[in-house]
Amino acid sequence: MTIFEGRGLTVRYGAHVALEGVDIALEPGVVHGVIGPNGAGKSTFIDALSGRKRPSAGTVTFEGADITRRSVRWRRGKGLSRSFQRTSVFGSMTVGDQLEMVARRNDEQDLDEIVSTLGLDAIRHQVCSEIAYGTQRSVDLAIALIGRPKVVLLDEPCAGLVHDESVRMLQHVRDVCKDRDVAALLVEHDVEGVFRTCDVITVLDLGKVLASGAPDEVRADENVIRAYLGSAA
Amino acid sequence: MTTTAPTDDVTETMVAVPPAGPGRWKGTLVGLGIALAVLLAGLAVPYVVTDTYRMSLVVDATILSLLAIGIGFLARHLGIISLGHGAFFGAAAYGVGIATTNWGWSPTTAVGFGILVGTGIALVMGLLVVRASGFGFLMLTLALSQALYALSVQTSARPLTGAHDGKLLSYDRDQTFLGLGQADVMNPGLFWPMAWVALTVCATLLWVVGRSRFGTTLEGIRENEERMRFSGYGTFGPRLVAFVLSGAVASVGGALFAINAGYVSPDILGFSKAGDSLIAALIGGFGLLVGPIVGTFLFVYAQANFNFGGNLHLFTGMTLILVLVFMPGGITGTFQKLYHRMRKGRR
Amino acid sequence: MNAAQLLNGVALGSLLMVLSSGLAMIYGLRGVANFAHGALYMAGAYIAYSVSDRAGFWLALLVVPLALAVLGVVLELAFFRPLQHRSHIELGLITFGLALMAERLVVLIWGESTLRVNPPEFLQGTTSFVGIEYPSYRLAIIVIAVLLAAALIVWLRSTSIGLHIRAASQDIETAAIMGINVDRVSLVVVAVGAALAGLAGALAAPYIALDPGMGNAFLITVLIVVVVGGIGSIAGAMIAGMGLGIIQTVTTVWSPSLAVVVPYAALTIVLLWRPTGLAGKRVS
Repeated sequence: MTIFEGRGLTVRYGAHVALEGVDIALEPGVVHGVIGPNGAGKSTFIDALSGRKRPSAGTVTFEGADITRRSVRWRRGKGLSRSFQRTSVFGSMTVGDQLEMVARRNDEQDLDEIVSTLGLDAIRHQVCSEIAYGTQRSVDLAIALIGRPKVVLLDEPCAGLVHDESVRMLQHVRDVCKDRDVAALLVEHDVEGVFRTCDVITVLDLGKVLASGAPDEVRADENVIRAYLGSAA
Repeated sequence: MTTTAPTDDVTETMVAVPPAGPGRWKGTLVGLGIALAVLLAGLAVPYVVTDTYRMSLVVDATILSLLAIGIGFLARHLGIISLGHGAFFGAAAYGVGIATTNWGWSPTTAVGFGILVGTGIALVMGLLVVRASGFGFLMLTLALSQALYALSVQTSARPLTGAHDGKLLSYDRDQTFLGLGQADVMNPGLFWPMAWVALTVCATLLWVVGRSRFGTTLEGIRENEERMRFSGYGTFGPRLVAFVLSGAVASVGGALFAINAGYVSPDILGFSKAGDSLIAALIGGFGLLVGPIVGTFLFVYAQANFNFGGNLHLFTGMTLILVLVFMPGGITGTFQKLYHRMRKGRR
Repeated sequence: MNAAQLLNGVALGSLLMVLSSGLAMIYGLRGVANFAHGALYMAGAYIAYSVSDRAGFWLALLVVPLALAVLGVVLELAFFRPLQHRSHIELGLITFGLALMAERLVVLIWGESTLRVNPPEFLQGTTSFVGIEYPSYRLAIIVIAVLLAAALIVWLRSTSIGLHIRAASQDIETAAIMGINVDRVSLVVVAVGAALAGLAGALAAPYIALDPGMGNAFLITVLIVVVVGGIGSIAGAMIAGMGLGIIQTVTTVWSPSLAVVVPYAALTIVLLWRPTGLAGKRVS
């Protein structure tokens, strides 16, 4: 049962085609991973899906309705949310203040649960710019999860994290997705982490889909091995 | 890991982070109590400052402070610097002048009208500029206020604005501004309560707004406009409201200025007035609400005492540079930092 | 409208072109709108007055850019470099303070009264050009400014320092990582930008009257040109400068009261339509 779908998504910057005819379908309770080498179009892809960048061609549908031209604010109100690769938090505010601010707007009943799931209790009264980078990434994720969104697009949540933090972060993502029946898209650089975490994986290369399917299928795909995974897989 | 690249947001170094958290309502009540006490105590100023010239300086500084706290409010809560607030101050002043002199309205009604005109201009300008930030915002506010100035000095505008000559206010002997006749409003001791009440009420209003949920929304927009939108907040509306509010406060200043001075000249519309006020606010500091007020009083004092040989701008330019280089956050910001350091040291 | 009026517009546009390309270079590299740029222009005009008084106008055209380049170096070393990690707006406000001081310093050195500079003798008359008699000096301004603009473009396009400047204007951090000496690039840019401003002032000196308010009066127009042209885009600034010069002069002929709002209207329309300016890529 598809809740969120991108069809034929194409993004051009002048003559350069960053993304060409990419399809994707997300289902509730399923973590869908997107991997690909640098320049594969991963960030452009998530920007096009989330409304940050309007696609040159293609459509984005949510619960059957075309939302390609809807504002990001409208999408958030309907339950579409995203996080950012470059940590995007409210630096001068305390962790608690900013989460409460977002919770007020998005009608979150149980903010405490999100805070404790992500282990943010202890630093709730600290100013966000003064906490550790890894914790800021968790705050970024918490902001995206507030208000029980139905779809969450996560742009490299592990960027800049050390291995242990990275493992914990992906575990959180999987737990939240399963517990809350969220359709999650996980764009990630950490290939090993994606194979461990995701139920479905799409591989992008040079702006196109190289392969898509269950982790084992993708791992065995000849194109993927040749172009990307190489001998490491 | 988080690299801090230089941005156009002034608040990084210039605004100290205000502490928030529990006890907000209690804090607001205490603040309102203090504001009321300050308002009442301030009414005694004419009995302390008996010299008329000095008292007129105090009144001038109080009226100009309204312009400065308007500019300061935007800088503090949205991190944007306006060079266009002279337009609201000036438009309100001209509104009063035109309503009294050309249309024969009573000064009290004219002041209300002037404030409406200034606020209306702020609304129109706001619709055009609040999407911009950083230098874009600075340039647009500067350009639009210069456009208003350029229009006001046109020969065709002479019947309304007096063009380059400015406009002398006149109204009937029996007409008054809240009970003060035309001779009385120019008496600083008698005009003082109007100016002082206006400043304390406006400052308190801005302070309460800054602490409210709306203030938190503004802080969110200042810190990360994009994430606010991705969190479901509209950012245009709150910015516009904040811009119009700060323009309205500047308009109150402009309307009172016109009544008190009895004369409106085009230079108050232009960039020099807004520039002076911005400098005063910067020197006083944006981090605290009183910063721009402190700065304005110092500026008016300096203007009256150090303007020998017409070198005022040489000194203000120098002071501005010294403050920005060596004490970002201005005078009040520096005191704030010292205070925090002392408290930390004691712990 | 006749050819002479159009040429007046081109002459004003030429000055705007030279002045704003320097401002655009500094803006592109340091991210700072240099409010002291009008003061540099004014300093150029006043120094040209003093030099041409003693040693002739042609020497002034040589001395002024050198003197202003030195001022630019001082500006870079005293403010832009040590304060590069502050917010851009703060740096902009510092240059605003410098502009305030400059206006008064000029009065203290040269006095408050209006001064005039005579163009070199052989340029004092008129030249017949496209069928009209047109002041020779204004034609000279146009020719020199266009040559300067062309030289600047060639310099930026074909030298290695030019390449470094363009790279650093795109993304100063990446340029630094790639091994470009950003400090050196910035020093050159600010010095050249200041020299161009001074040269514009010197060129304008015989054409206009010198007074201590001339710098800041012109500054707003130049800032508008740079924002309209697209922040950091030198070609955009040149085109916008020339365009605005012509449009403003032509509008003055039709309706003087409309002409005064032309730059502001242009800025507002362009920024609403394309927030990054005509040729701009980055949001300010």
